[in-house]
Amino acid sequence: MDRPLEILAVCGVGMGSSLMLKMTAEDALRALGVEARVENTDISSARGMTPDVIIGQGMHTSEIEDLAPVVITVSDFLDKDGLEVQLRERLTEKGWLR
Amino acid sequence: MTVIAVRDTVPAADWREAVLNTAAVLVEAGAAGAAYPEACVRVVEENGPYIVLSKGLALVHARPEEGGLAVGVAAVRLSTPVEFGHPDNDPVDLLLAFCTPDPDAHVGTLSTLARALMGGLADRLRAAPDTGALRAALKEALPDA
Repeated sequence: MDRPLEILAVCGVGMGSSLMLKMTAEDALRALGVEARVENTDISSARGMTPDVIIGQGMHTSEIEDLAPVVITVSDFLDKDGLEVQLRERLTEKGWLR
Repeated sequence: MTVIAVRDTVPAADWREAVLNTAAVLVEAGAAGAAYPEACVRVVEENGPYIVLSKGLALVHARPEEGGLAVGVAAVRLSTPVEFGHPDNDPVDLLLAFCTPDPDAHVGTLSTLARALMGGLADRLRAAPDTGALRAALKEALPDA
């Protein structure tokens, strides 16, 4: 991909948990050397967006599975290493990670 | 400037009481209005137990218009852990609550808190031997408090 990836961290209110997830995702993406713009929002606002990747808890990602080409479910928002593993696998599948 | 407050060995019969009692610490500290704790419960009722964002740790919060008066962070250790119904992260023994007067004022504080949590803050809060040490651990993580 020849532009930064657009990544959306989602949660219920879109202010706290998703902000923490955004920080974790930024760290994981930096470790992978992926250029990306990460935003955080609530699940309702997410429905109007068209990101490349959505990250959230299963109770939310299950509602928006069709919204992005890559939807990643995480249960621990602070687990940078776990998210890095998932991102590496899913972005490689799409050819977005070289 | 971030308002911080802590409470140790807080009793809670269930997740609702845990959320109410944690958000009440922000009310007592003057950082949130009286309606804020109930709003924090509604967030979980309406959106699920996603606020349990890591093993044993919940981030209690609601929208600023529900009574955020200042940027505040509270840390509460429960006397007995409670179940939120989270598929992976139950039971919860440690709760952090935050409030903010508008949708942006908290971003710096929350980002700092996230960094600290990634760096092991939750375990330092759990290991604190008393309330004073609990407060000191939170204060160390939030230098502008």
